[in-house]
Amino acid sequence: MSTVAISEKRSALAPLGKPLAIAGGVLAVVAALLPWVTFSLNDGNWPDKSTLQFFDAPFLVTGFRWHMLLFGVFILVAALAPTPSRGRVLRALGWGTLAVSFINALYITIKGGGLGAITALDGEVAFGGVVGVVAGVLVILASYGIGIEPVADWKFKVSTPVAYLVLLVAFGGVLYAVAAMLTTGGVGASNPYAGAIFLSFLGFAGGVLAALSGVGLVRWISALSEEHRVFSVIVLAACALLLPFTDAGNEYWMTVAANIGIYAATAIGLNIVVGLAGLLDLGYVAFMGIGALVAANFSGAATAYFGFSLPFPVAAAIAAVVAGIFGAIVGSPTLRVRGDYLAIVTLAFGEIFTRSAQNDIGGFTNGSNAIPGIPALSLFGAEFNRSITIGPVKLPGGVLYYILIVLLVAATMAVFANLKFSRIGRAWIAIREDEDAARAMGIRTGKMKILAFLIGAMLAGLAGAVFAHKNGTVSYESFKFLESITLLAAVILGGMGSIPGAVLGASLLFVLPEKLRDFEEYRLMIFGLALILIMRFRPVGLIPDAHRRAEMAEKADENAEEAHVEARKA
Amino acid sequence: MSTPVLEARDVSMVFGGLKALKGVTLTLEEGKIVGLIGPNGAGKTTFFNCLTGLYTPTTGQVLLKGNVLPGDPAKVTDAGVARTFQNIRLFPSMTVLENVMVGRHVRMKQGPLASLFHGPAYQRGEKAARERSRELLAFVGLNGVDDELSRNLPYGDQRRLEIARALATDPAVLLLDEPTAGMNPQETEATQQLIFRIRETGVSVVVIEHDIKFIFGLCDSVSVLVQGELLVEGSPAVVRADPRVVEAYLGKPPEEVQHDVEAAKGEQA
Repeated sequence: MSTVAISEKRSALAPLGKPLAIAGGVLAVVAALLPWVTFSLNDGNWPDKSTLQFFDAPFLVTGFRWHMLLFGVFILVAALAPTPSRGRVLRALGWGTLAVSFINALYITIKGGGLGAITALDGEVAFGGVVGVVAGVLVILASYGIGIEPVADWKFKVSTPVAYLVLLVAFGGVLYAVAAMLTTGGVGASNPYAGAIFLSFLGFAGGVLAALSGVGLVRWISALSEEHRVFSVIVLAACALLLPFTDAGNEYWMTVAANIGIYAATAIGLNIVVGLAGLLDLGYVAFMGIGALVAANFSGAATAYFGFSLPFPVAAAIAAVVAGIFGAIVGSPTLRVRGDYLAIVTLAFGEIFTRSAQNDIGGFTNGSNAIPGIPALSLFGAEFNRSITIGPVKLPGGVLYYILIVLLVAATMAVFANLKFSRIGRAWIAIREDEDAARAMGIRTGKMKILAFLIGAMLAGLAGAVFAHKNGTVSYESFKFLESITLLAAVILGGMGSIPGAVLGASLLFVLPEKLRDFEEYRLMIFGLALILIMRFRPVGLIPDAHRRAEMAEKADENAEEAHVEARKA
Repeated sequence: MSTPVLEARDVSMVFGGLKALKGVTLTLEEGKIVGLIGPNGAGKTTFFNCLTGLYTPTTGQVLLKGNVLPGDPAKVTDAGVARTFQNIRLFPSMTVLENVMVGRHVRMKQGPLASLFHGPAYQRGEKAARERSRELLAFVGLNGVDDELSRNLPYGDQRRLEIARALATDPAVLLLDEPTAGMNPQETEATQQLIFRIRETGVSVVVIEHDIKFIFGLCDSVSVLVQGELLVEGSPAVVRADPRVVEAYLGKPPEEVQHDVEAAKGEQA
């Protein structure tokens, strides 16, 4: 039914596609140059990076106005130049324009106390927001008029040096985007508009990224990086290590990035259990907690169970082993229960851990007083949480932790990738796909499932050990059900069974709440809304595993075919 | 007489009050193809599940080369009995090659540590497994589809892939559960040739099938199962001539069936 409706709409819009797109592009440029507010918003002190301070300076183009201007130019280029899959690109740009205009206009309306703030009702003309929204809608309509073709497949090959250059530029761009995304709107509460600025930036970044992927560039580059895998890994690692040298190189963002890294490493461990072996684990964060507690108790902190301290590598190894043992214990019911029932068993285990830790069972956890005062790590006398100066370069505090955690994430990734493409990994995936058939192929499914739990738990334990030293305090509060769910959400959001997906998922889930602080009580609502939107438009996750991506593409093809047949019938 | 490669002795299976199998005995000599036929609900698949360790027989035992088989499908496969499923059960979102390599699992030795570090010995083992899997894919006639997702293969190819996957476990005995279900005559013919070639490699085969013509053209010996009991066992000629078999399938034998059977005879001659 709906498919028929779309094809009718297309036929009505088809001749208008190009003119509408051009009009939309022009309007987006105009909107960028128009005034957006009728009153002065910035009567206080404004941080340097704020874009909103230009609301009443109509011809200075920065911040979101700059984004609007770029969108306008991109739209005009896409409409006039020979662009592959033009409709798809325009649709992405249109939604981006709409999002940026709408977010800013809405924010101004709320802060300005009504529609007067974005219209001429207050006597002054400030149609920027309205024009921007109209531009976005026009471009979206134009894209449906032109028609949404499949993503273009770029066939041309490049020589190795050129490929390296392209990859360098691409990963450099990613690094820049990450740094920009972290620092947009300033740090935490220091800028009252940080949340709106961040959301607006997200709209811009999302629109551009979707347009690039629509035109086929993203697919081409990922194929290229697949081809030159070693080089890509090295460049990616280098980019991660360069983050402290960008705008994000201050103590605050180093801490946030380090925390993301810890959760990303844990999420990759969970990805083994959930993504590869297909075993739903709702109490996974408990293993991280166990690792953190073991490391805390061997750290020589005042309230630790053991009165002595072990060197960190030893303590971390013990933490991983202990967590692994608990993982195997929790995994053992998998021999008897499957699916939902297993999820309930793991949920119960998570609760047992939290309650036991809360009540200081065995004297290991110090109950609700937590174990504070865990000493920071140090290497050759350099404490990890201090800033360090090498010659003229001054690196922010926490940079050593950041580097340690980048290495941890890299190691976890290597473990995951090696296991995934091995005899063990194939057995896990076979179990996920069809457990009975896997057994009929001679796979000892019980052993394999326990192994998945064991390895996943060890990785979580290792991450927990770093967590203990990084945060200095280990309390049961950090390892509750909500954290397990957040980790699971990170895995699913990023794409099950995919490594970059888990990292991206963890980043989003821990950056978004941080960035949305200034919406106060609406924070979690916006966060939830964002998750729903992502899952609506990318049901297999943001960076799905190659196999799953193939599955989805195939389904899309089938749908398109059906639509075609239906349209013909009608 | 040499020890049969697979022997089911007096196998009975009871589910609650239902006697699915009543003392079924079956002998498979090395290098032979045995067919198992019977109307729907006769207990053929239940019998298969007893052979593969998915069910533990209530009484009786199953022996492979004189040794009692363990009651666990994984261990049975390890011992040398592989199977395919009536309703194809591939690993749908793995590639064709990966599916076959899962079949190699049981013959590979890499443990978790080797899988983690990918050392030289690991690389050799992985390469050998990949080569053997490619060989088997070529053997069953699946070429150039290594990297397709198995769910994308056409139906007949999925059946063949399932056979390749089962062969990858280096079995002594291959159990095929309705290998030609839903196939057209050409595909059925190709499957028959494939099973003959499998026998040539020294693998003994048990086939469940509804297609009587196919079974009689393929098997060295045929067993007829009716309501959980072994009705007749013998060469295709003997079974075909037995009036009880026709009766079990169709009630009273009308003229057409007689005619059909003769036509089938004529075709094979």
